[in-house]
Amino acid sequence: MSVIAQLVIVAAGILFPIIWMVSSSFKSSADVTAYPPTFLFRPTLENYTRLLQTTPFFSYARNSLIESGSSTLIGLLLGVPAAYAASITRSSWPALVTLSARMAPGTLFLIPWYIVFRDLGMVGTYGALILTQAAITLPIVIWVLLPAFDAIPRSILEAAGVDGCGTLRSLWRVALPLVSSGLVIATILAFVFSWNYFLFALVLSDENTKPLVVAAFNYIGEGSTDWGGLMAAATLIALPPLVLAIAVQRWLVAGLTLGAVKG
Amino acid sequence: MHISASSRQRGALAVLAMPAVLFTAMMVVFPILYTIWLSFRTAPLGHATQFVGFANYAQLADSPQFWNSIKVSLTLYVISLAMQLTGGTYLALLLFQAKRMPAILRSILISPFMVPPVVVGMMFLIILDPSLGAANWVLSLFGIAPSAWLASPEWVIPTVALIDTWQWMPFVALIVLGGLQSLPPSVYEAAKIDGAPPRLVFWRITLPLLLPTLATAAILRTVDLLRFFDIIYVTTQGGPLNASDTLNIYGFHIGFELFQFGYASALAMTLTAMVFGVVLALNRLRRAIDW
Repeated sequence: MSVIAQLVIVAAGILFPIIWMVSSSFKSSADVTAYPPTFLFRPTLENYTRLLQTTPFFSYARNSLIESGSSTLIGLLLGVPAAYAASITRSSWPALVTLSARMAPGTLFLIPWYIVFRDLGMVGTYGALILTQAAITLPIVIWVLLPAFDAIPRSILEAAGVDGCGTLRSLWRVALPLVSSGLVIATILAFVFSWNYFLFALVLSDENTKPLVVAAFNYIGEGSTDWGGLMAAATLIALPPLVLAIAVQRWLVAGLTLGAVKG
Repeated sequence: MHISASSRQRGALAVLAMPAVLFTAMMVVFPILYTIWLSFRTAPLGHATQFVGFANYAQLADSPQFWNSIKVSLTLYVISLAMQLTGGTYLALLLFQAKRMPAILRSILISPFMVPPVVVGMMFLIILDPSLGAANWVLSLFGIAPSAWLASPEWVIPTVALIDTWQWMPFVALIVLGGLQSLPPSVYEAAKIDGAPPRLVFWRITLPLLLPTLATAAILRTVDLLRFFDIIYVTTQGGPLNASDTLNIYGFHIGFELFQFGYASALAMTLTAMVFGVVLALNRLRRAIDW
């Protein structure tokens, strides 16, 4: 079989579950439970209207946006200067800490976080969720930006120093513009991973601060018979990360693997 | 003059790194130390914690459910990793031979691992549903008896491995493709001149040269696979009959459903030690086979 034919088959296999989810979200309740499965059907928006009307989907979406957006911002504010400083001084501890934070299982952090946040009365607050999600975003920002800063020729930064640029000005005016694509990737990856992260919010959120992924999990428990509504929710939740990732696809793979493949 | 400038710069750089250092100390280092401390104590809800020495670890060693979790986690790990490395290498070779990668193909390849794991669990719940799912219908086309998939104690782990492979095999393929693209072309040209058949070139030249890249991909997947949680929690919650009760699922159950924080901490420490151990071993292997 030719290479192209094999690639088409593999691509179809990868695409099928996503297409099945999206198409099921447009099926009427009779079509979605039909066996054998229906491939041709009259599409309907009833699952989406029911989802948006009978559940507080938009407020969960707002929670997701607040939590992922803020934790991404914190990750950038802390991670960009730290990655820059580590790159200039060639110190390796940020990469090491980043790696350890990425390797440790979530429960390792979650037990002490839960105890401390409970004692502070912060369980269920945006503050607790944003802080814990920032522990996801900060390593990603450092992970992506460290090699990007390392790639800047030292002579450029030294020249900026000679011109009387202070350290902060060198970072802001000289180094940051040179790593702009890395910055975009770091922002998008941090946002997507925070958006997708389930475990911390599962424990630390309440009804008012619940992000979409936790709400989606509750939908499964509440109405496993409403396949259409479930698939409509799944489609809407997957949409933002997919759109963001596809928009920057060319650099995304390099950003995800750079630190690992270079070593 | 020069020295004082550079020491001033050093100070400025330390200030730049300080917020991240403080955050890491507070949110990463402190919790790890706290968990180590807790793992030597009982921490019943509403009571003061009490030192119990290694009792929590001894309880682990005596618990059949803990050993079941070890078995489940390792089985899932080995099956998934094998599928993802072989599938990923196969797909990478296809992509390498195709020479160019259209944007649509790259979009398709990155989509699975950008979808939230919770959503991945939801989409496979409907596909694998024993009574109305598309998967059993496809099997029936080939005359194969339907499977209970996630509802079957025998098949639940291979099924979860299949779902994870769907999600991460393209990621492995993209890493391996990067490895293929960085191989020196001169080796291939020499093999071509010698008239070596493609199969021999793959087994004798390409694969050995790819091993360090495969080890890197294995490390990245190991970290996620050994602490497998999301998809199982969404689909089976460790069932049926604890057949998919991975260490992380078991630990979550102990910690956040039974609230036995001391015991759960000992479990978390054990799992962390496992992940670090396997990653260090793989890293040593990668150094040994690097060329």
